[in-house]
Amino acid sequence: MFNPKTGTEGHGGGTTIIAQGVKVEGEFSSQSDVVVEGEVHGTFATTGLLTVTAEAKIKADVTAGEAVVSGTVEGNLVVHRRLDVKATAKIMGDVSAETVSVEAGAVLAGRVSIGIKGAIVEKPTLSSRRERAAAAAALVTNER
Amino acid sequence: MNPAFAYIYDEFLADRRFERDLAFLETEVARRGIEGRIVRLAMFRQPKDIIRDLVNANVKNIIFVGNDLTLEKMMWFLPDVDATFGFLPVMPGSMIAGMLDIPNGAEAVNTLAARLIEWFDVGKINERYFFTEAVLPNTQASVDVEGQYRISPAHGGAIAIRNLAGISGQPGAAHPQDGRLEIVIQTKVRENGMKFWQKSVLSESHVFLTHGAIQSEKSVEVIVDGQPLHGAHFSLSIVPHKIRLITGKQKGWEPPREKKEVVPLARVTIS
Repeated sequence: MFNPKTGTEGHGGGTTIIAQGVKVEGEFSSQSDVVVEGEVHGTFATTGLLTVTAEAKIKADVTAGEAVVSGTVEGNLVVHRRLDVKATAKIMGDVSAETVSVEAGAVLAGRVSIGIKGAIVEKPTLSSRRERAAAAAALVTNER
Repeated sequence: MNPAFAYIYDEFLADRRFERDLAFLETEVARRGIEGRIVRLAMFRQPKDIIRDLVNANVKNIIFVGNDLTLEKMMWFLPDVDATFGFLPVMPGSMIAGMLDIPNGAEAVNTLAARLIEWFDVGKINERYFFTEAVLPNTQASVDVEGQYRISPAHGGAIAIRNLAGISGQPGAAHPQDGRLEIVIQTKVRENGMKFWQKSVLSESHVFLTHGAIQSEKSVEVIVDGQPLHGAHFSLSIVPHKIRLITGKQKGWEPPREKKEVVPLARVTIS
């Protein structure tokens, strides 16, 4: 039977949770907050807060109201308000958001657009720590 | 006797150990002026026929006396009956009574007498109604959500389609008045850490839908309101506001009513 003791913590009603060990395929869309711990393939859209945990693997173009990314996203990411990219995050695709914060250690491979709606300001591409280190090394060499 | 009320006693209540409880219940019901005709379920009496006869006799309130199974085994046809339904649990531990804030035994008569009536959603699996949930205990099946995407346990797990929460006991989930069903998927996953010390923990997914389908390559058993159903494909839908039930005030899926602090009135001294 269904086990009442769960490995995840309690949550409020209405939040969609795609937990570890679960796969979603197709065109996912939601009006509520979504937590992704498992796998998503296809397209993904939510108007609420998207939380991608460190274990999550998303292979999809993603649209969200707000997002906190700690896991892997392979696809373009469009966030209408704030995007927090945590140290464990790996984003392979273009990112667009009103505001973005990126922790040291995060991997971002793609173009990043930050700005107010309708006035997106192009920022230089952020890349992985290794790529950034290589760029810094090249800069030092050129200066010499 | 109040002709608007009828009481349906489950078959197991014929056992002598319930005699005293039932007598006490009947006294309380009479004291409140809501006593009615009593019908006992028996092996060769179809519950659907009994209820049809009661409705034809102009009974407006049908009260089930028993446990969760008493109610669950009727649920496949109750939503189509034009009556208000109540529940008098005779034993502690009733999930449905807990969710509807109906106390156990004679105290439930107070809730019944207050007649707080609310409409509730019912789920539909194929053409069968359900009130609580449809559970696939251990399965590789997937759930198609509103024709848009498919969700499945990657390596097998348990799937429940809920209208009224209760089994995992998590407050806030599966609201039976919100016009949607909740899919809950439980799977076993390994905890992070060194391989030797890794333990299996259960992860739980929650997704909502108004319609969809359960798909399986092989025929599977689905436990619908405690009754088994077999097949490889099941359509799912929600029928909003389909059944009238007598409930208590503090239902299980609602947040607890906070006690407001009493602020003293200005210039008033209470001695």
